[in-house]
Parts: sequence; structure tokens; C-alpha cells
Amino acid sequence: MSDHHANQAAQLAAQQAAQQAFLAKKKAKKAARRNNDIEEGNLNITSLMDVVSIIVVYLLKSYGTDPVVITPTAGQKVPMSRADAPIQDGVPVYVSQRSITFGSQRVVQLDENGDVDPTQVTGQLIGPLFDLMSEEAERSKQTSASKDEPWEGTVILVGDVNLKFSTLVKVMYTAGKAEYSQYAFCVIQLGG
Amino acid sequence: MARRKKKSVDEGEVEANLIPVMNVMFLLIPALLLAMEVARFAAINVSPPKFAAQSDQKEEEKKKEEKPLNLKVFVMSDGYRVSASGQQAGADGGKAADSTKPTIPLAKPGSDLSDFDRYNYEALETKAVEYKRLFPHETVVTISAENDIPLQAIIKTMDALRGRDCTLLNAVSAGEEVPAECLFWSPIVEAGAG
Repeated sequence: MSDHHANQAAQLAAQQAAQQAFLAKKKAKKAARRNNDIEEGNLNITSLMDVVSIIVVYLLKSYGTDPVVITPTAGQKVPMSRADAPIQDGVPVYVSQRSITFGSQRVVQLDENGDVDPTQVTGQLIGPLFDLMSEEAERSKQTSASKDEPWEGTVILVGDVNLKFSTLVKVMYTAGKAEYSQYAFCVIQLGG
Repeated sequence: MARRKKKSVDEGEVEANLIPVMNVMFLLIPALLLAMEVARFAAINVSPPKFAAQSDQKEEEKKKEEKPLNLKVFVMSDGYRVSASGQQAGADGGKAADSTKPTIPLAKPGSDLSDFDRYNYEALETKAVEYKRLFPHETVVTISAENDIPLQAIIKTMDALRGRDCTLLNAVSAGEEVPAECLFWSPIVEAGAG
């Protein structure tokens, strides 16, 4: 009986000793790991930099080749066409269903039918638009004169698909009165 | 005499900090993408009525041999009225114009004005081809419309009159001659030309 007890005690002691040894080993490993210097992860971004630089140069080049940057106003749907002639240099006039914008300035509001407010129209002439376009024409004439270049008054009409013909004619008439003699309709090239 | 030892200088590689540059580049990419044209824009050059008589001298000489066509297309809510040399095509016998009937009726009768395919563009193009055969040097067409006609319908009308195989890219950008496939590629937009 006493032998059996002695055996059990010996087994328990052996188990405790093994556990202590395991814990000590674990502690030692942990301490060793703590003492080690943390290796710095060195990210090589040179190749990434090359790719990004190429993309930026490409985008800058394609941005720079457009003579006129057309940015239709919110909600404006530019008509689609099979025309493929490139847009020449000119002054854009944006005519959406709700307003006429010239030089980033909303000049005239259109009513729900797409007509110009009759108080702002004299005959076919849209007064506020005429004032702004005349000013711009004078400015660009002076610039052309200083460069010894002939002035070509070109208007790029960026209209909405639903723009009424009567409103279009008024805008063209106003541009003509402001000495712009060449017109181009801006379209989205089909299949382009 | 004791020689002084030179201090050894560490010649380690000095790496440029590229992260701020990368930050700027990554900001530039979306900015440029936003500024870029998503769709490809093109232009339809249009003349006002006063320039109807203007053209270059060579063409003028050629035209002198021909009687002027004076092609006019009036876009109405019920179709096209086409007239040439003052005579409306399809008008009643003996009449110069027949305002009650369009020359080319709608392809989709009864459809709304916002349906841009309501006009018979193919029939208009066929008509233009017929006129071009008779007047090969003529390039000008006067387009007018009723007040409510939307711009997209006018643009499609111009496309049909110019011809489906017409490409003006080289003529405009490189100064080449306008291809023979181009029918009436020089439109004049006029109010109330009907």
C-alpha cells in the first residue's frame, strides 16, 4: 500500500518537474525573442514610383493636347453624332435645359419648357449673354492683336439633346451680334 | 612624428524619402482622370446664314458652271420638308411648295418629340445622295426647324445630310481634300427657312 503511494508521489513530482521545465524553456524563448532587434521591413517603392510617374506624364500629355476643355454642366446631355472633326479653339457656351453658362458663369436661367426668360430677350438677342460675350470678344481681340494674329471669333455651342431650336437660334444670334462669326456644335462622337 | 589617423567615415547609401512624392503622384492621378474627357468630343462646324455665299475660289468657279442647288431642309414635327432650287420635293403639281405635306414623313408617326429616332434619316440620306449625284460640287445645305425641335434631331439630320461614310477628320486637321463620300457637309443653320 505504501509502495503504491510512493509511486504516485514520484509520478506527480516528475510531472511537476516536467511542467516547470517546459515553462522555464518558454520563458527563456520569450526573453530571447524580446532581446532580439526588430528587423525593419524595407519596402522598395522605386518600381512603383516609375509606374506612377509614367501614368502621370501620360495623363498630363493627354490633358495638354486638347485645345478646349469641354466640361458639360450638371445634368446636361451632349448630343451624339457620327461627326469626327476635332474641336477647334473657341469659346464654349453651355446651354443645358435649365440654364445658359458662359465662362463658368451661369448667365441666364431657362424655364421648364427650355425657353429663355422673355424679360431678358430683345427680339432674338439674349441681353446678359451678349454683354459677357462682347466683353470676352474685346479681350480676345486685344490678345490676338498683341500677338499679331488675326482674331477668329469661334463659338463652341455645347447644347443639351433636348435643347429647343428656338433657344439655339437665339444663342447663335446673340453670339453673332457679339462678333463671333464661326460656330461649332459640340457632340459626343459615336463609337469614339 | 606621430601621424594622426584619419577618422573613418561611414559611406552608407542615403536613400531619398519617396513617400511624399508618391503621395503627390497619387493625388495627381485622380485629379487628372477627372479632368480628362471620358467621352470623345467632336465638332460640327456650322455657318450662319450670312456666310452662305462664301466659299473658296476654286469651288466658286466649279459652281459657276452649275445652276445653284440651294438645298433646304426644314425639320417639322411631322417630318422633313426638302426643297431645292426653290422647288419643294414632292409638292403637288404646279406648286413650288406644299406646306401641308412633308417631303419625308416620320419613320415613327405619332411618337413623341423626345424620341430622336422618329425621323426617317435613311430616306433623307437617300434624297441627299440623289441631289449630290445631280450637283456633285455642291456642299452647302440650309437647315431650319420648328421651334420645338430638339437639338439631337437637328444633329442627326446633319449626320444624314453629310453621309454615313463621310469623315472630315483629315480635311479639318491635315488640310486634305474632303472625301467624295461626303454629301452636304457644310450646313447653314437658319431660323424660319421653311
